[in-house]
Amino acid sequence: MTGVEAGAGAGSGAAGVGPAGSGVALAQVDTGTVTSAFGAVPRSVWLGAIVAVAGVVLAVLLGAFTTRVLVRLGVPDAVEGTAFDRTVREFDTSTVDVLGSLVRLFVLGVTFLGVLSIANVTVAAGFWGRTVQFLPQLFLALVILIVGVVVGDKVQLVIGERLTGVKLPEVGLFPRLAKFTVFYVAVLIALSQLGVATLALVVLLAAYLFAVVFLGGLALSDLLQSAAAGSYLLLEQPYAIGDEVVIGDHRGIVQEVNLFVTHIEDDGEEFVVPNSTVFESGVVRVRG
Amino acid sequence: MSALSDLLSDVVSDVEAVLLFSPSSSHYRQFADADLDEDLLVVAPENAVGADTYVELPLEFDNVRDRIRFGIEGALERELVDAEDAVACSVRIFDGDPDGVVRVRVTESMRSGIYDLFANSRAEPGVIRDVFEVAIELGKKGQKGKPVGALFVVGDAGKVMNKSRPLSYNPFEKSHVHVGDPIVNVMLKEFSRLDGAFVVSDSGKIASAYRYLEPAAEGVDIPKGLGARHMAGAAITRDTNATAIVLSESDGLVRAFKGGQLILEIDPEEY
Repeated sequence: MTGVEAGAGAGSGAAGVGPAGSGVALAQVDTGTVTSAFGAVPRSVWLGAIVAVAGVVLAVLLGAFTTRVLVRLGVPDAVEGTAFDRTVREFDTSTVDVLGSLVRLFVLGVTFLGVLSIANVTVAAGFWGRTVQFLPQLFLALVILIVGVVVGDKVQLVIGERLTGVKLPEVGLFPRLAKFTVFYVAVLIALSQLGVATLALVVLLAAYLFAVVFLGGLALSDLLQSAAAGSYLLLEQPYAIGDEVVIGDHRGIVQEVNLFVTHIEDDGEEFVVPNSTVFESGVVRVRG
Repeated sequence: MSALSDLLSDVVSDVEAVLLFSPSSSHYRQFADADLDEDLLVVAPENAVGADTYVELPLEFDNVRDRIRFGIEGALERELVDAEDAVACSVRIFDGDPDGVVRVRVTESMRSGIYDLFANSRAEPGVIRDVFEVAIELGKKGQKGKPVGALFVVGDAGKVMNKSRPLSYNPFEKSHVHVGDPIVNVMLKEFSRLDGAFVVSDSGKIASAYRYLEPAAEGVDIPKGLGARHMAGAAITRDTNATAIVLSESDGLVRAFKGGQLILEIDPEEY
């Protein structure tokens, strides 16, 4: 029974494609005709159809999978409030959906090219060949750009939040500087992914980074020294809250030790001593 | 209808200032844009609406009386209102938006020291608030099983350490736990098992547990009926610049001492 149905189904399906064999398949029941019905259509067409169907299914699945993984990773919450996310929301979608459809488009594109190569489309083979090589790079560059924009926005938001306590108008410069640095690096990576000459941009980045590191290090050297000493003090606790110590010229009871400074108090006078001094001059612990 | 409006205008007539308690930003805008003759004050845990004159409310007092008293005391302390002024307070009594307007006459006796406890203590206000929250939480959790007591000495940790001795090894040695860290909530159950006092530094670091306080207790006057834990807490605040926050094992109340005086008494169950 099933043989008949299968034969009929395959026959009618084949009827539209190939001119031969459909009537025979309906009349006879044995499986030999089914194979012949398959055989009537060129192999490459079947292969192409299968690849196309598999590609579409894979695209939908991978797109959904990407979206779910990103959601599970907490990406929607992480990117909430960024300019990119808000812009995308105006078009009634979300950052995660954009990334998901990008993955879908990429898989579809690959499938399309695969089908074309199976179908042996030789027209402008060179053009297609280059496109095939270019497509993954374009995809990667797009993803890098989106991630860069989102991360840059997020960095601006986070730094801005940290600095809200500082009531200084100029402080707004830092979050924006950080944002554009991230944007710049993202664009640079995306461009080099596409094979565009980026040497000049890299040199510019190097100069900028050198300035930031060198000048920043120069300006923060005292703080960094204190922080290095402070991390030792916090880990080892050679003296703790309540101990009486002498640091340099100051003698008193330790009230507080943090990363940068030690507070010691003596008769209503509280000295805030940088931790680097602790290492330079040493500490005397007074045992009473 | 006019009678109703009269009722409200009686309440708000001749007030010197309007106090908005934890307003939403649209609610605040409404008042700010109206350009009132009266002063506009915002009293809230944080200045979310960006108001010019703002009094910080360190605890989200559930009891409306406490909330209003604290807000007015803060305004009085910062000289935003004067004694004998009448003020109108827009407060939230039930859940949701502000639903009540209360007229209060400010008196000098409203200075109970509660605002002072938070704003002018040695430790940072946020630290005192966090310790209060820990004590309140401990009071609630302890009551479900067995009531527990606890004693936190906040601020001036160096001096407190010198006026106390360890009962056992300090579990917080070489650790960097601050009150308000999420881990402290996990440690709450352990806290109730430790005897002695917790010493918390100005910046909120838990310096030690298991401390036996040895202050001079002469002349410390606390209400009769409070036990040794309260006495020790009150006495240490007279000897040092610390603030003591005590959870009572017998009646479950959280009390705060400063300068040897009982300043604040709250019931954890009301929060």
